[in-house]
Amino acid sequence: MRSTWRMVLAFVVGAAIATAGFVQVALAQEETGATGATGGTEEKVTFTWGSTGEPSSLNPMSGYLAVDFYFWTATYHLLIDWDENLGVDKDVDDPGSGLVTEVEMSDDAMSYTYHLKDGIMWSDGQPLTAEDVAYTLNLYKGNHAYLPQNYLTLIDGEVSFDNEANTISFTTREPTGLYSGKVAYMYDYILPKHVFETLEKPKQFENVPNVGSGPFVITEYEVGEFVVMEKNPYWVGPEPAVDELIYRIYKNEDALAEGVKAGEVDFAYFTSANIFDSMATEPNIETMAGTIPSFSEIGFNTGSAYQEADDIFTPHGDGHPALTDVNVRRAIRMAIDSQTLTDRVLGGYGLPGDTIVPPVSVAGARWEPTGEEVIPFDLEAAAQLLEDNGYVDSDGDGVREMPEGSLDPGRPLEFRYYVRSNEQTSVDASQFVKPWLEEIGIQANVEVVTSGRLGDIINEGTYDLFSWGWIPDPDPDSALSWFTCDQRPPDGKTYGNNDSYYCNPEYDAMYAEQRATVDPEARWEIVHEMQRIYYEDAAYAVMWYDPVFSVWRSDRFTGFVVQPQPKGDPLESWGGPSSVWWKIRPVGAGTGTTETRGIPAAAWIGIIAGVVIIAAAIVLGRRRRSTEDEA
Amino acid sequence: MGTRGYLAGKILQAFLTLVFVLCFNFFLFRVMPGDPAALLLRGTSAFNPENVEQVREDLGLNESLPKQFLIYMADTAQLNFGESFFLRGKPVNEVVADKIWPTVLLVGTSTIASIVLGLFIGIWGGWRRGTVADYGSLTFTLFVYAMPEFWFGILVLMAFGGGVGPFPSIFPTGGYETPGADLTGFAHAADVLNHMVMPFFVLTVAYLGEYAIIMRNSLTDVMADDFVTTARAKGVREKQVLWRHVVPNALLPTWTLTMLSLGFVFGGAITIEYVFSWPGLGWLTVQAIEAKDFALLQALFLIFSAAVIIANLIADITYMYLDPRVRAA
Repeated sequence: MRSTWRMVLAFVVGAAIATAGFVQVALAQEETGATGATGGTEEKVTFTWGSTGEPSSLNPMSGYLAVDFYFWTATYHLLIDWDENLGVDKDVDDPGSGLVTEVEMSDDAMSYTYHLKDGIMWSDGQPLTAEDVAYTLNLYKGNHAYLPQNYLTLIDGEVSFDNEANTISFTTREPTGLYSGKVAYMYDYILPKHVFETLEKPKQFENVPNVGSGPFVITEYEVGEFVVMEKNPYWVGPEPAVDELIYRIYKNEDALAEGVKAGEVDFAYFTSANIFDSMATEPNIETMAGTIPSFSEIGFNTGSAYQEADDIFTPHGDGHPALTDVNVRRAIRMAIDSQTLTDRVLGGYGLPGDTIVPPVSVAGARWEPTGEEVIPFDLEAAAQLLEDNGYVDSDGDGVREMPEGSLDPGRPLEFRYYVRSNEQTSVDASQFVKPWLEEIGIQANVEVVTSGRLGDIINEGTYDLFSWGWIPDPDPDSALSWFTCDQRPPDGKTYGNNDSYYCNPEYDAMYAEQRATVDPEARWEIVHEMQRIYYEDAAYAVMWYDPVFSVWRSDRFTGFVVQPQPKGDPLESWGGPSSVWWKIRPVGAGTGTTETRGIPAAAWIGIIAGVVIIAAAIVLGRRRRSTEDEA
Repeated sequence: MGTRGYLAGKILQAFLTLVFVLCFNFFLFRVMPGDPAALLLRGTSAFNPENVEQVREDLGLNESLPKQFLIYMADTAQLNFGESFFLRGKPVNEVVADKIWPTVLLVGTSTIASIVLGLFIGIWGGWRRGTVADYGSLTFTLFVYAMPEFWFGILVLMAFGGGVGPFPSIFPTGGYETPGADLTGFAHAADVLNHMVMPFFVLTVAYLGEYAIIMRNSLTDVMADDFVTTARAKGVREKQVLWRHVVPNALLPTWTLTMLSLGFVFGGAITIEYVFSWPGLGWLTVQAIEAKDFALLQALFLIFSAAVIIANLIADITYMYLDPRVRAA
């Protein structure tokens, strides 16, 4: 009898739990405005975009990854901004364009005064002043903010300000046209002084929630999960049609694709051409394969062990001596078919590579080889070039040897070729490059290593070929700076940008000259010549310019702003504040709201109550049987 | 050696192992190739020797190795694990604390579920040795044991996340909660449960095989023992033979495995966390390894090691009560 009462008690308890749960759900829904059993928020329009990228930091003082910029393009201003085609945005009436309305430059191009826009407000109601601008630039300079301080190295001393006149002024160490306002070079987001001056360690500040001047502000960041941005109540530009922006971090692209199909994600970036292709056939989904300033290369050790020592460089490493010969490097370049690589490795997307300034760059900056300048894919010509320069296969093993009078006569052209384990395209490309090189009598031994290990190998100079990539700024200055002599890894242990150990005094002189040239056209001439020299010297074989794969739900949102036109990034990732954030809008009423998915909360209560009851019944039943057995 | 001596020995052993792990952790990650400062910046416009040096300074890597070791030991003694490299200065304690709960929630519950289900299947099949039920349950458990959980996870995700053919799209495709939904109370709990359903199901199915197989084999061994025959000869009912005599003895070998599995809960489930974008410690560990985030790695591996050592200690101590022969030894 007692056990029967216990059973009854279990059911009563289970029912009580269920009732309590129902009441709690009702209260929770009332509290949050959630609708329906699956939750969801009322009327709030939310745009959700996703990728597999984790931000490095939401603080412009510390962040450096491409994904970080999406949060800054929605929240901060630049001084001189890019337009949709990466030219200078000169529309000073546009609240989203750069803060500078006029640039005064001295005749010697060493003194600058920037006149600033009035009326821009921070999201906490404070006005954005010249003092904020000067403070930010000095903050970046004084705290060695990794990315932004790069654009301020020419500034001599502190930046000063005049709040009355709403101007800032500074001088430079040497003449330069980079601050003339004719190019958008200074990639420095302006921060609120009244927030950052209170911080003991501003570079380590998480910046969540932030105070911004753009249409949105960052309100929440959960590492590995999402970033939430909400409207800035003091934004002076057009009212955004979206109340909330959410960036979702997926950990694999298959799941992200499912998220787009299920409507959890409105817009997504992919790196896999296969997934991108599969998404193109789905209903209500639009896709765009665009290009961004980015390239992947095979770099050569042009002579880390054989170059002359100087004040900052000590020869080191054991690179193959044949690669000091430009003819060998050119022959290798001729044996790499960039078109096949983009077709086969990138699934037909991306662009075949040639020079170190990508097609998506500031207008006029890029040089393209034409006619005789082109180093074509031609295996026969490549083999002939090696033959003509004395690299012959004297022992008939299929591998050529170095000629008499060279640095190491008779040494076979057998190269170590490093690719990166965490970059599949780098590994895939080697499957094509290796047999091409074999056809011209070069043995390439492919080794797959981690990025960390390859970084060490490059600094040690203990490689012959390697595969890696860069994401340069739209302005070519940064990309060109990487290959000057002083950027070589100096001693076998210390890092340097110039990973091919390219050193050409003529190139270095031109780099300094282009920095000092104010007239953009004159500057582009020098920049073009530098690209031509680097291309002909073949320190890099640029394999391709990377694609950016965008996919979005066309039945949910419209109004994307592609940068650069016509095929680039539909979320306008260069500059700030980007107009895409107030131009995207739901396609129709009722679309674009956040909804939770899954089993309704009430059903969960039932499931849990059921499990409790069943468990209780089993336990009680077993006890009852045991008692009977013992009796 | 009495009970006290046995206990003291085990605790001392656990403590010394933990101290060894603490020291080992410091050196283990520093022999990995690559400089974390350069890894952080490579491929970006911020990558130059001055910045790399600045990052080294910011991360405290410019100090000599012995000094770094002393700082590490002193800080760890105060449970201060420093600041994460790849999360740009966020305190490691905060980063780890954020991810421990989702990890324990998912991996802990699915481990317990797989233990309960696995043991039950093992008992059910083993007790019916040689029958269709035995062969059926053994085939099933061997299949799920051998099945790659990543593959199974993707199938479940496609079927019930995105929806394929007859399978409806029901559950969220990733994450721990719906961002921006601002839910509280039970509505929030239900949202988390909805995110957890698929990874929980996959992990439970993937893990239960090993418990079922071990339990079945252990059970069939015990079933052949003399005391079981004696019990039957005394006329004890079959159910009682099973639950009173066979199962308690057959559970002993699975006890260590169970305790160790619970110790490994903190290590997360890397593949499943990747498939379902679950923000757990497994994913965090991979990120930390890729970025050579020494500070984060040291904390994570200490937690993982401590959990296993403590679970092992508990197993040893409880074994003493479960099996009196241990005390007598």
